[in-house]
Amino acid sequence: MDIIVCVKWVPDTSEADLAIAGGAKDIKKDDLDHDINDWDRFAVEEAVQIKEKVGGKVTVVSVAPEDAEEMLRESLARGADEAFHLWDDAFEGSDGYAVATILAKFIKDRPFDLILTGTLADDDCSGQVGGMLAAMLGVPNAVLVSSIEFLDRKVKFKKELEGGLYEAVEMDLPAQLSVATGLNEPRFVSIRAVRKVASAEIPVIDCGELGLDESQVGPQGSKIQVEEVAMPPEGEGAEIIGGGAEEAAGRLAEILKEKGGIG
Amino acid sequence: MTRIFVLAEHRLQKLRDATWEALEAGRKLAADLGGELNCILLTDNAAGMADELAKECPKVLVVEDPKFETFNSDSAMKALAAILSDKAPFMLVMGNSNSMMDLAPGLAVALDAALATDCFAFEVKDGRPAAFRQMYNYKVNAKVSFKGAEKIVVTLRGGAFPFSSGGGAAGAVEKIASPVADEAPRKRFLNYVEAEKGDVDIASADIIVSLGRGIGDEPDMEIFESLADAMGGVLACSRPIVDKNLLPKYHQVGTSGVEVKPKVYLALGISGAFQHVGGIKGAPLIVAVNKDAKAPIFRVAQYGIVGDLNEVVPALEEKIKDLKG
Ligand SMILES: Cc1cc2nc3c(=O)[nH]c(=O)nc-3n(C[C@H](O)[C@H](O)[C@H](O)COP(=O)(O)OP(=O)(O)OC[C@H]3O[C@@H](n4cnc5c(N)ncnc54)[C@H](O)[C@@H]3O)c2cc1C
Ligand SMILES: Nc1ncnc2c1ncn2[C@@H]1O[C@H](COP(=O)(O)O)[C@@H](O)[C@H]1O
Repeated sequence: MDIIVCVKWVPDTSEADLAIAGGAKDIKKDDLDHDINDWDRFAVEEAVQIKEKVGGKVTVVSVAPEDAEEMLRESLARGADEAFHLWDDAFEGSDGYAVATILAKFIKDRPFDLILTGTLADDDCSGQVGGMLAAMLGVPNAVLVSSIEFLDRKVKFKKELEGGLYEAVEMDLPAQLSVATGLNEPRFVSIRAVRKVASAEIPVIDCGELGLDESQVGPQGSKIQVEEVAMPPEGEGAEIIGGGAEEAAGRLAEILKEKGGIG
Repeated sequence: MTRIFVLAEHRLQKLRDATWEALEAGRKLAADLGGELNCILLTDNAAGMADELAKECPKVLVVEDPKFETFNSDSAMKALAAILSDKAPFMLVMGNSNSMMDLAPGLAVALDAALATDCFAFEVKDGRPAAFRQMYNYKVNAKVSFKGAEKIVVTLRGGAFPFSSGGGAAGAVEKIASPVADEAPRKRFLNYVEAEKGDVDIASADIIVSLGRGIGDEPDMEIFESLADAMGGVLACSRPIVDKNLLPKYHQVGTSGVEVKPKVYLALGISGAFQHVGGIKGAPLIVAVNKDAKAPIFRVAQYGIVGDLNEVVPALEEKIKDLKG
């Protein structure tokens, strides 16, 4: 089973105090830590587990600036066989469509049975690259996949619907699946595993080497454009209970008691 | 004259709420863009559903094909690409349901259309639409434009376009021969799998102590259990807690978990993403403890403590025990 996993390098915004950048086209990202997109961690683990079960090769690829090399190296430490870093200054400002164009161009001439992505990236919250990539490569796809099983030239999987309901689906290979978080338990990476891949080569491939024209990537190759970003209106919001932990907890306990929160 | 097409979604021979919300958004867009409103229904059996849609939409295009008994994004993509290929300029509107998430990106590629997912509002200026959606863990609002595209696909945030009946004259129903009649789908529905049931039913609990990623990677679950005990409530959680196997799935509150309707909801280390908050119904008292003063959960909570839950939780348990005497 040859599996290609697409991983995204995203700013960690879940706990950060976000600020809008000058021009209001994006947030300020310079001070934010970056890491692999949470959903993609599960995709890498799934690919490695499949390989360990049925054999084959796992290739990890990302369209990402230089710093992202550490994410690709960590993917190797997690058990991927090879990693490719697609980057060119011209890629800056690509939307999901342009990113899918770049990935499709890279994958087109490689043999694969399965492409795994995350369902959604935490930065753009779009959930589009997987499905677009599948359509560009002419293979069927599904998102929110929560367990995968292989039959002869077919894949059988469970897809998450709303309210805890799932559907079981069968699909012809080659195929593209976007995984849901929680479909496995991403492994702990040992220091030994990290050392082993410390000098592994991770080729960086640019626009020209991919055979893409600059008009196909970046803002020019994008189908949508972010015009403006803003923090959502504050609204009424919660009444914040001040004081230290002790004092606030005391006040909160009283409020809970008053409002029936202590049964 | 941008035509608006709304894609109907159904399950078990019943139109889903997302269909009506999409119709609501479509109606508004049709008025703002000055184009006609159409609804597309892909089904094995249009009986009932087509007429129901026609009551609210001037024109309903119906494809009947056994492949569409359940939702099949592979066949739907090919059928819609065929139906819409010569209809530009158009805007195709659909829900951002888990099923439609399979369809929209590939369809946008097949149509060479511009796509914006999970939109919660639109604006039309000089005949051009722009969409509003969220980014960065749903903490930031963004306005996106379609760069003048003649073909646009949008999916809608659930609940953002509450439906109200238009009450006009019944529209026309037009049947179209299935463009995929002779094609074998590469993707095949097998069966539905129901949610696993557990020993607690958070859906019927009055007092809920809910845990989010803020409890850390290796939390001491006992401190939360004893807080829930002291409050006489049950433990629930956000999705990452289930992903990490800290609690079973039937404890998960949210759109892909359980809908709860408690009297009191105490959110500990939960950011308040809409898929989580969307599972809290019935306007309970929401109280949040979070170290990020700007966490979206504070927008829906009535009371909040900005601080470290590891300090607040033990203190809170003490105070509650004191109060109970
Ligand atoms: C299709 C789909 C369906 C989904 N369904 C669901 C669903 O049903 N339910 C659900 O919950 N999510 C669901 N999600 C995921 C959702 O988008 C969010 O990712 C998730 O709810 C985030 O969980 P969280 O708030 O626990 O984590 P985070 O967003 O990471 O928030 C953690 C919070 O903890 C705070 N914190 C950290 N440390 C501390 C500390 N020591 N003390 C106090 N606060 C601290 C941080 O400031 C932060 O606000 C779904 C997503 C998709 C795409
Ligand atoms: N720049 C990128 N490089 C590699 N994979 C990506 C990139 N952007 C998105 N993806 C993949 O597509 C998924 C969905 O991302 P998105 O459409 O941006 O929400 C992610 O979880 C990744 O697996």
